[in-house]
Amino acid sequence: MKTWRVNAREQTLTQEAVPETWERLGGRGLIARILVDEVNAKCDPLGQENKLIYAPGLLVGHRLSSCDRISIGGKSPLTGGVKESNGGGRTGLQLTHLGIKALIIEDQPAENGTWLLHLSKDDASFVKADNLAGKGVYEVAPILLEEYGKHVAISLIGPGGEMFLTGAGITNIDKDGVPSRICARGGLGAVMGKKGLKAIVIDSSGGEKPPIANSKEFKAAQKVYNKALMEHPQIKVYAEYGTAGMVRMCHGFGGLPTRDFTSGDFEGAEDISGETMREVLLERGGESETTHACMAGCTIQCSNIYADEDGKTIVSPLEYENIGLLGSNLGISDLDAIARLNWALNDMALDTIEIGAALGVAASAGEMEFGDGERALELVEEIRKGTPLGQALGNGAVATGRLLDVERIPAVKGQAMSAYDGRAIKGTGVTYATSPQGADHTCGLTIRAKIDHLDPKVQVENSRTSQIKMAAYDTLGVCAMGSFGFGKVPETIPALLHARYGWEVGEDILMEIGQEVLSLEREFNRMAGFTAADDRMPKWTTEEPLPPHDAVFDVSPEDLDSVFNW
Amino acid sequence: MQVDVHLHSILQRQTPDGLLRRLDVEMPEGSTIQRLIDHLGIEIDPEHLLFALNGRVAHPDQVMADGDEIHIMVPISGG
Repeated sequence: MKTWRVNAREQTLTQEAVPETWERLGGRGLIARILVDEVNAKCDPLGQENKLIYAPGLLVGHRLSSCDRISIGGKSPLTGGVKESNGGGRTGLQLTHLGIKALIIEDQPAENGTWLLHLSKDDASFVKADNLAGKGVYEVAPILLEEYGKHVAISLIGPGGEMFLTGAGITNIDKDGVPSRICARGGLGAVMGKKGLKAIVIDSSGGEKPPIANSKEFKAAQKVYNKALMEHPQIKVYAEYGTAGMVRMCHGFGGLPTRDFTSGDFEGAEDISGETMREVLLERGGESETTHACMAGCTIQCSNIYADEDGKTIVSPLEYENIGLLGSNLGISDLDAIARLNWALNDMALDTIEIGAALGVAASAGEMEFGDGERALELVEEIRKGTPLGQALGNGAVATGRLLDVERIPAVKGQAMSAYDGRAIKGTGVTYATSPQGADHTCGLTIRAKIDHLDPKVQVENSRTSQIKMAAYDTLGVCAMGSFGFGKVPETIPALLHARYGWEVGEDILMEIGQEVLSLEREFNRMAGFTAADDRMPKWTTEEPLPPHDAVFDVSPEDLDSVFNW
Repeated sequence: MQVDVHLHSILQRQTPDGLLRRLDVEMPEGSTIQRLIDHLGIEIDPEHLLFALNGRVAHPDQVMADGDEIHIMVPISGG
């Protein structure tokens, strides 16, 4: 495996040996290591000095179920700190088949323009792509699949990234060629846009799977892991209801973001639940699918295809976070309206969490009535048009608040909260406050823990453990849904690492990796100027009671400062 | 006493009118959540279940009261 370094100004490729200190990292951890080693933490994230980094996780490359994720990172233009965002699809798998441990894209083109980066066996080339400029990802992906072959992987930005909006992500095509697997958070699409790249096409033809030190041992561990995954009760929930099964769960704990995070109790929760969605899709038929895989080889298949009354696809997938931020958070209880908002944001490759939160702020400022799906869609189209309000919305919740003179913003370190109110699920509030990535449930969700989510005294340990484990899984390339399989048979993690790389690692390897990764991320943020004062929930969450429990975020600053003491 | 039971995802009950996700259940005074699980015939190991009693995480040996709202879930993570 090698490091591929691409210069966007010179349009050149250099293949380098992987430094020893990078060898035992992948995905999120490798991105943090590269940022610390190579990127000026105080640089302009949209300037020449920032780097766009693609790093497959350590277990990527062998179609191990739920273990082929791609991590993309750089310095975030949204938070000003470390950023890694990961997704499914084909990108991770095909990069490893080209022998790429990390793809580092440096510098910026001397002139404005739109290019496509084509990666193939031992080669990288830039292709002028002005014909694709300004087009949505749903139009561009089929064009590129037609031109480069149905087998390639594609990672691309939409108009959001081309407009350098800090709510823009980078989308990857799924196993069926649909551009739906977005590395959404933190504005990485804007970083890619500044590199002049509309898309990266990865053709691994002639490449091969990454080497395995002991394939017999690998297969044995794979078998144990797969069995644990298949026998776990959660797998049936994910397969039938997808992540939308979370709606009633979060609502049951009084934490479903409702009307710009003013309540955790939404009267339309049943109408937007995973249970209702499944009934609707089974009744509608046609192109609807309640069970769908985003990565080849995935046995969980938590994705879905959401179709309209005529059975025609509106969007795929419709996920919990989108339902929470574009549904209850906007007072919308119509799944079709949520799905249409989701499609429009996907087409521009924008982060639905960030823009959903921004729309909530806009609604509080009087730009739309809560519950008005048509008006919400008009506001989303303003982003495409590039109006001043559209630009603010596309730049996220904080930028929208700034334009509309709203101070009460659901964000930490500049990044919007996900669909769990941190006052009702306080462990997740601790994660929002302290994660080096900014508010992000994927960095340490705690809602499944069997603790009182309202008791401020028992949250820190829970968040700490969850943050460490998630940092490690993100470094291995493991999907959050796969992690519960490993949770049942943790011995398979050192076994798989030993089988693939020959490493002698102990049973604590997951915790060791996670702690190393979080330390690196915090080091980058420290160099960027972050302090303990940034590891806080917004002040209003400590004062404004959240119905139905009238809960405030009351985990003490001292406890928050102890999260990374291990 | 009567408790307001919310059954999540795969725990919904198949009835001639379709899946039922919410039901009022008569239970003897002082019943625990475990007794409710047994009464409902839920076969999944409680270790793999999560309970929210009046919005707070609860344990199988916890006693319920008349009018309580209980959610019985197979917990998942978000999306």
